This record gives sequence, C-alpha cells and structure tokens, in this order.
Amino acid sequence: MTATRERTQSPQTPDGRREYAGGPIGQSKATPYLFSFPAILAVSAMLAFPVLYGIWESLYRAPELGLPEDFVGIQNYTDMFRDPDFWNSLYRTAIFVGGCLAIGTALGLFFAFALFRASGRLRFMRAATLAPYLISNVAAAVMFRLLFQSDLGLINTFLAWFGVDGPSWLSDTTWAMAVVIFTQVWTDIPLTILLLLGGLMTIDQSYLDAALVDGATPWQRARHLTIPLLAPQLVITTVWLSYSTLTGLGVVLALTGGGPLGSTTTMAMEMYNVAFRALRFNQALALATFILVLNALLTLLYLKVAQKYEVEL
Amino acid sequence: MVSSTVDATQAGPTRHIAGESKSPLAKFGRRAVVGLPLFLLAVWTFIPFLVTISISFKTKFESYANLGLVPQDPSLSAYKEVLADPNFLSAFLNSVIVGFGTAILTIIIGLPAAYAFARFRFRGRHLLLLFTLLPRLVPSIGIMVPIYRLAVATNMLDRRLTLIIVYSGMLAPLAVWLMVGFFQQIPRDIEEAADVDGATLWQRLRYIVMPLAAPALITIAVLAFREAWNEFTLVLVLTTTPDARTLPFALFKLGQSEGLSNFPAEAAFAMITVIPFIFVYTRIERYVVAGLTSGSGK
Repeated sequence: MTATRERTQSPQTPDGRREYAGGPIGQSKATPYLFSFPAILAVSAMLAFPVLYGIWESLYRAPELGLPEDFVGIQNYTDMFRDPDFWNSLYRTAIFVGGCLAIGTALGLFFAFALFRASGRLRFMRAATLAPYLISNVAAAVMFRLLFQSDLGLINTFLAWFGVDGPSWLSDTTWAMAVVIFTQVWTDIPLTILLLLGGLMTIDQSYLDAALVDGATPWQRARHLTIPLLAPQLVITTVWLSYSTLTGLGVVLALTGGGPLGSTTTMAMEMYNVAFRALRFNQALALATFILVLNALLTLLYLKVAQKYEVEL
Repeated sequence: MVSSTVDATQAGPTRHIAGESKSPLAKFGRRAVVGLPLFLLAVWTFIPFLVTISISFKTKFESYANLGLVPQDPSLSAYKEVLADPNFLSAFLNSVIVGFGTAILTIIIGLPAAYAFARFRFRGRHLLLLFTLLPRLVPSIGIMVPIYRLAVATNMLDRRLTLIIVYSGMLAPLAVWLMVGFFQQIPRDIEEAADVDGATLWQRLRYIVMPLAAPALITIAVLAFREAWNEFTLVLVLTTTPDARTLPFALFKLGQSEGLSNFPAEAAFAMITVIPFIFVYTRIERYVVAGLTSGSGK
C-alpha cells in the first residue's frame, strides 16, 4: 500500500519497486530515515550543536572561575575589541594567512607543473608528494625544530657554507613566524598540489598544442593559457588554504606554542591561550566565533572575486 | 568542476614532435626543465624526513657533536629508549585503539546514511543531505571549547571512547560525501536483479553493495584512521592523564620536557609514529588520492 502511494506521489521515481520488495526492513517507509539517523545525530552532536552552543555561551560570562555564568550580551565581544592582544593576534594572523597563501599557492603551482611533466618512472613522485599530509602536526614540528636548530640545524649549517651566519630561528621574534609559515605550508601543500595537478590533467591538450604551433613561449603558455584554465582549482585551493591556516592551531601550538614573546600567537593560538591557559572560556568562545565569521567572510570574498573574473566553479 | 576531458593520447606524440629539435645542449636543457623542479620537490618533501631519520640513529652525544647527515656510528639506542618508555607504549596502544575505533565507527555511521541518500527517494532528502555535509566546513577550533565543556559536564574527559566519538562525528560528513558519490556509480540493475530474485535489503547490502564499495570503504577507513592517529589539538584538550593520550600528545610532551633536549629520542619517536602509516599508505595510495581530491574539491 505504502509503496503504491509513494509511486503515485513521484511517478518519475525509477525505483519505486525497491520500496515494496526489499524484505522486512525495506518495506518500511521509515527505512531511509533510520539509515541516515546515526550520521545526522553524529553531525548534530559533534559539529552543529557545539558551534551553536559556543556562540550562545559567548554571550555569558562567569564573574569568577567556577561561579555561575551571567548573561552579559555582547560584552565579551566589546571587551575583545578593546584588548590590544586581540589586535596583535589579528595582525599576526594576517601575516600568517597571507604568507601561507602566497608561498603555498606559488610553490603549489610550481610543483604541480613539475609533477605534471613527470612521466614514466618519475611518476612515483606523485604519490610520494603526499607524505607530509600523512604525518601529524607534532611530528612535522619536531622535524622542523631539528631542521631550524640555531647551532645544530641543517639550514644554518647550509647557510654557513655561504658564509651566512643564520639566525637562531625559533627564538627570534621575527624569524619564528617565518619558520611557522614554512612548516604550515609544508604540511598543507600536498593537497594544494593534488588539486592543482588534477586541474592540469583536465586541461584540453589541443589548446596548448595550438599555442605551441603559434610559437608561444613556455611563459606565455603558462601565463595566458594554463593559469586562466586553472582558475577554478586556484580558487578552491585559496579557499582551502585560507581556511586551513586561519583556523589552524596544531602547527603553531606544537612548534612554538605562540612564542617567543607571543610573536607567533595567531588568533587560533590566542583562543587556545584564553580558554585553556587563562580558563576564560566565554571570552575564548567570543574569539572562536569571530574566527568562524571571519572565515566565512573571507570565503565569500574569494568567491565574489572569482565571480567577478567569471570563473566557473 | 571542469568538464573538459583528458586526452592522454595527444599529450605524448605532440611533446615528442616538439622535442625533436636541435642540439644535445637543447636536449639537456629540456631535461633540466623537467628534472630540476622535480628535484626541488624531492628536496622540499624529503629533507625534513632525512634529517629526522639521520638524527634518530645518532646517540644523544653525537647529536650535539656531529652535524653531518650521516651518523658516524649508527646506533639504535634512541629507538630502544623510546620503545622502553611506558608513556610511549600506552600512547601507542591508545592510538591503535582510537584509530581503529574511529575507522569502524565512521563507517558504521556513514555507510547506511550514504546508501539512503544515494538509493532512496524520501521526503527531506536534499535538506538532510545538506545538513550532513555542510558541517564539514567547521574547524576544530570552533568546537574545541564547547566539546571540552560537554566532556567535563558528562564526565567523559580522559576516555578513549570520547575521542572515538568526537573524531567519528567530525569525519561523518566526509564519509557520507565520499560514499554517496560511490554508491551512485554502482549500477542499479545489479541490485534490482537481486531484488527480483528475492534478496532482502540486508542481503543486497551485505553481498552486493559492500563488496562493490570496498575501495570507498578502504579510503574512508584510512582517512579516518589518519585523522585519529594524527589529531593533536583536541586530544590535548580532552585528555588529562596518560590513560587516553595518543601518540601526538606523547610526542608533544617529550618535546616540552625540561633540560638538555634529547633530539635522537624525539626524532626516533617521530619516525615510529610516521613509518607504520606511510607503509600502509603506499599499498593503497591509489584509492586515497582519488578520495582526497573528490572529498576536498567540493
């Protein structure tokens, strides 16, 4: 009965038959709901609810740790905007995200081109490129700490060959950020390369052949053909890299913990400090909400720019 | 996304014609154009690993005295030290349990949902699918504090089960996304034929859908295992004692310890956490790459 009704409701459904010939569970109209329930519950409980609950809680504040929380409206936000630490972390985040985007995209493109041209036995490099993606941020941080040791590290040993006296990277308030950016790019770049390489492989080779016949130089081909054709993938990698670095905490926390002297304290790191070192949870939630909103706005901005240049995603 | 097709047959010959020209010097130049960027890529990717492997085979003393990449007297002392450390052993056990637990639970949650979204027509289908997929964009710092406070309130802090549940919830959107795409590719005819022959829904799932979806299931299991094995910031927040700590947290602790840094031990620890996974990955790289690009490219 149920099935007949279902079929009359949606006559275009090609598999109306499945609804009544599927055994005990399959007979019920509730089956799809039962099937999708665990996933919906998991997503609600672990992602949707915490985010909404966090935004709601950012409107409260406990006068002292452990006391009941009072509703304070947007006071956590107004206090946050008056706090110089917030503006400092915003500034460092701009450098961090901007640096990672610039270096990550440039290197990602370069390496994607390199892999695209790799043929034959060199193809194994495609798989090997993913290695940094497979390890934890902590392991990456250990590796880069060893690499950038001031007296013992390979980087400074290498620089010494050229008579350059390398800085003590991770204890220098200027250079520490550079190392953090470098490490973050290293962990994020495999996906960037993979996405761009995927884009390169879908480009119709006949365009390039035509350009080749017309005598376009490699640079002209890249500048006027390949990169415009790669625009959709470039937009996606920009959105993704921006998201990953703006909200990324693992690398910073494991590598410098925000130091030295707070010089690598990005907003995500500041959020962690406010929550788990100062134990001011509600204020931390205001900051977390700010980061989520900023991320959404940035994503919209990228998509708007893409739309302006008529990139079809 | 981009719908133009790959024409692999054209790429080869054209390049050959273009490359037919001139002197040995030009030939060398062309080789360098392909080879040099690849060499730089290899340096970029592998140098951090090589440095770490090199230091892991030095003794603590040598790590301060010999800066070269090749250890003078390769020694396993750092590995022995790490393997004998009770903190490492408990973290390793926790990581294995949380890793497999997350992989299994993610599939248990994701598989039926994906099947329902891919095969059944039901009211609210699109809305529910969107609701399941959209939270993929939620970063872990957005849920860190609320999840921590929930865990405190429900007395779930410092338990492996908490980590498994949290990770599976975070991975559910990815799992559903990948499997919906996969199930839609499995021809309906096969299932319809089985249906006519009187197979129950469970039998169809068990004997037709799941074997055909094996590549997707493997991909999801690997990605889920990777997430649980590597995740660092939430485990830092959700555990307070070694009882549930996973390897990244234990490695982080090792780096934070006071006194003269024990670089070889840190390096050996890092390599032990990395190597098993890279070993597994090389066997199933194909599936994972396909899964990753379709998952993150949306």
